[in-house]
This record gives sequence, C-alpha cells and structure tokens, in this order.
Amino acid sequence: MKKLLWVVMLLVAFAFIFPIVMMFFTSFKAEGEVLNPASVVPKLWTSENYRNVLEWSEEAPFGRWLLNSVFVSSSVTLLVLTLSSMAAFAITRLKVKGGGAFLGAVVFSMMVPGQLFLVPVYFILSKLHWLDTPAALIVPATAGGFGVFMLSQFMRAVPSAVEEAALIDGCSPAQVFINVTLPLCAPALATLGVLTFIGSWNDYVSPLVYMDSVRNYTLPVGIAMYQASYYTEYGRTLATSVLASIPLLIVFLVFQKQIVESMASSGLKD
Amino acid sequence: MTWKKRQQLTGYLFLAPYALSFLVFLVLPILVALVLSVMQFDLTATEQIKFIGTQNFTDAWKDDYVKQAMIATARYVLLFVPSLLVLSLAMAVGLNAVKKGRNVFRGMIFLPGIFTIAVTAILWQFFYNLEFGFFNWVIKQFGGTAVPWLSEKSLAMPSIVLMSLWWLSGGTAVILLASLQQIPTMYHEAAALDGAGSWKTFSKITMPLIKPVLLFTVLTNTIGAFQMFPQASLLTQGGPELSTRGTVQYIYEIAFQQYRLGYAAAISWMLTAVIMVFGIVQFIAMRRNSAQ
Repeated sequence: MKKLLWVVMLLVAFAFIFPIVMMFFTSFKAEGEVLNPASVVPKLWTSENYRNVLEWSEEAPFGRWLLNSVFVSSSVTLLVLTLSSMAAFAITRLKVKGGGAFLGAVVFSMMVPGQLFLVPVYFILSKLHWLDTPAALIVPATAGGFGVFMLSQFMRAVPSAVEEAALIDGCSPAQVFINVTLPLCAPALATLGVLTFIGSWNDYVSPLVYMDSVRNYTLPVGIAMYQASYYTEYGRTLATSVLASIPLLIVFLVFQKQIVESMASSGLKD
Repeated sequence: MTWKKRQQLTGYLFLAPYALSFLVFLVLPILVALVLSVMQFDLTATEQIKFIGTQNFTDAWKDDYVKQAMIATARYVLLFVPSLLVLSLAMAVGLNAVKKGRNVFRGMIFLPGIFTIAVTAILWQFFYNLEFGFFNWVIKQFGGTAVPWLSEKSLAMPSIVLMSLWWLSGGTAVILLASLQQIPTMYHEAAALDGAGSWKTFSKITMPLIKPVLLFTVLTNTIGAFQMFPQASLLTQGGPELSTRGTVQYIYEIAFQQYRLGYAAAISWMLTAVIMVFGIVQFIAMRRNSAQ
C-alpha cells in the first residue's frame, strides 16, 4: 500500500514536470523533428533555434527584452524592500501616531481586486507621461501592501529591546534601522525579495497595457508577441521560453526552501 | 523639540516614501476609477468628455457582451475552483503520507507555478495542437481521432482550466500540505486505537481541522479566478466565438483597444462588486480564526 502510494506520487510529480522537460528537449530539435511528438529526446541535438532567437532583430529584440526584464524586476525588488522595511520600521519601532490605522488601510487595500486598477493607473501614468517608460512598470509596483504587512508582522514578532536601548543611548533612528533592524529582518527580507522578483519577472498584464514600443517590452509580453508572429515555429518559441525561464529556474533552485515555505505559511498565518 | 517629538517626525520621514506610493497608485486610482465610471471618457473623442451619471452602468447592464463575458467568467470559476480543490487536497494527502522523497515531489509539483503565463500558454498550445500536439498523438496511438482541444466550443474552457490546474494546483497543494502537517499525530493515533478506518479518520478528524485553511484557499482562488484573463487571451484569444472571453479580457479590450475608459471603469466596478462579496467573507473568516 505504502509502495503503491509512492509510485502514484512519483507519477503525479512526473506529470507536472513532463511539459517542462518536453519544452527543454523540443527547443533543441531541428525544425522537422519538432512536429514529431513520438520522439521526446532529440535524435539530433541542434542549437539552431537558440541562434535564431539570439540574432538581434528589430521585430524581436530578445536581448533588449531580457535587459528590460532584469532592470525592471531588480528595481522593483530593491524599491519594494526599501520602502516596505522603512514603513514597517516607522510603524512598529518608531510607533508613529496613526501607524496602526495606516497599516489597517494597507491591509484593507489588499482586498480590492487588481483588475480595478488597470484603467485608472493607465490614466494616471498617461498624466505623468510615464507610459512606455520603465517607470510605468516600476513605480506602481511599489504601492502594493503585502510587503509592509508581512514585514510589520515579522517585526512585531521579534523583540525590540535592542533597538529601544540603542535609541535611548542616542543612536539615530537611521543608524538603528540600518545596523540593527535590517540584519534582524534578513530572513523576512530574503523571502519578500524573492517573491517580489518572481512576481515582477512574470508580470504579463502591466507591460501589455502600459508599454507601447516593441523595444520597451519585458520578456513575458515580448515572447507572447513573438509566438503570435512565429505561430507554428515551436522550436523557436520554445527556445525563447527556455531562455526567458532560466533566470527564474536559478532563483527557484537557490531559494526553493524560502519560496515553498512562504507559500505554505500563507494559509496558516491567521 | 523633545526627544519623543523628534522620533515621531523621523518616523513620518521613514513612512513617507511608501505612503506617497500608496496614495498615488492605490488610493488615487480608486477615486479615478469612480470618476471615470460616471463619465463619457473616450480617448478617441476627447472633445466629448462629459459627466453622464449612471449611464455607463445601465449600458453595461444591457450589453450582451458583458453578459457573455460574465457567463464565461462564471464557467471558469465553477470549473476551476472545485477541481483545483479536489486535486490539491488529494496531492497534499498523498505528499503527507509519503516520507521518502516528499520534498522532491513537493518541489516538482510546485515548479510549474514559477513560470510566466506567457511561457505556460505557449507550452500548452504546443501540447494541445490539433495535428502534432502531444495529447492528440497519445490519443491517436490508442486508435482515437484528434480532439480539437481549443477550437471546439464545449472543450475550450475545460482546456484552459486544465492548463490553469497544472500552473496553480502545486501552490495550493503546498498550502494544504502545511496545514496537514500541523495536525498533531496523536489525534490520528487515538482514532486508530478506537478502530476508526482511514476514510472515517479523514472525514471526521482531518477535514474539520484543516477547514479554515480550505476556506482560505477556496476564497483566494475564487477571487483570482474571477479575474482570469491572460490564460484565455493567450491560449484561445477568447474564442471560439468569444465563449472563453472573460470579463477582465472584455474590460481590457474596451479600455485599450477601443479606448473607452469610462465604460471600461464601470464594468470594472461591477466585477469588483461581485468579487468583494467573496473578499468580505474572507476578511470575516480570517478575523474569526485569529480571534479564536
């Protein structure tokens, strides 16, 4: 019985990664072999698809999309970590008046469904003349309340005696924040950083709505557009997909524990 | 200035950057969405921008395309959420029972969730392809005929749901597994001593104990499913015959292909009203759980 269950779970787990394995193998197949599902592993390995993708072209500048994605996701991650930790520090450690009420408003805002923001944020970005610039993908992404909520919870759970002593001894709040609070919160910051990076890297709807020029796209919209124009050339589109996913696979392999555990605890928190 | 006052002032300086972003990109948009929804606001006819009261809402109420999109959305929610729950729960129970290799299996099941929807849709389009897709190849090996996964009206939505299950059920299974692991083993040992079978133990002990987490996953996934958009827009473009075009895709098309921002904002509010019902239930349920 135990053995049978183990085999079933193995099959289920295999079914989940099979499409990913298939994507990887197919991207190394020559054009003729791509359309033959009977061969899973390429009979003849070729890097032709990858060379086609990486050739810089005006219609599909893959390298440019990659740079845009790296720049946008890194900026979003850095800004979210900075702004959220500063805000959580002000609320839980410096205990600003009205901080609790502000946190309540932030948590309440997390209930408003994201689709409501599509049209008005587009309108605000157009007034700021930020449409079709990286700012449109970076700045609005820092407004979400999850980071402030999560870091405030974390800071409340760890004792603040050291920080209070340091403040009374005459350290400036900025010194305490940088030298005591941030190192203390390192595990929570790592988790928040990884989740923010993945979310930003995978965001498809924002660049679709706020970006206009092909060279300003990030990878998700770029590859979706690429797929629309090279519809049947699956070798190429799957090679693009593999390239776009490699940075995330690396992040996942390195931070698997943090990612899976933060997901797991999201249902248990309350 | 006293020390206390200075600390307050510094506090506000620390809070200010986030608060500014929160005000401009979370609070202000809600107000803008309210104003837009009562305006005739077409970017292609800017000289005709004017206040029209509730007309966008009455128009949307009569719009057959809105009705069609709401029906497509409801079909997705009703197909996706129950199947997600059953599949994730079964996988979580399975993972909880195996000891050897549990973390590896968990990682494998979770992995699809880290891919962007663009990659996910390309991959599944390849699998669903009529002539040379993997699924139809398997069916043909067993002597069947090719199935039009994405072009047949009755099949397109279930095909989108299947892809979404692959993409998202691992994450839910991980959440449920964590809640199963929190159940003290002595409960099950006591039930076994009393001679309870495994089904009885599951339904009388396990299920009631993980009920709060089950409710949480049902509600968050329902809220998410109501906003389904890229899955269908990439896999079927909302077809065949608009049968898989959800409400958010329709809002997107009105706002960013027809540039009718006012009308789009009104439909957005109608969908928000539906979603907020589930959001408020979730809020109350969370409050009650944390109060216990």
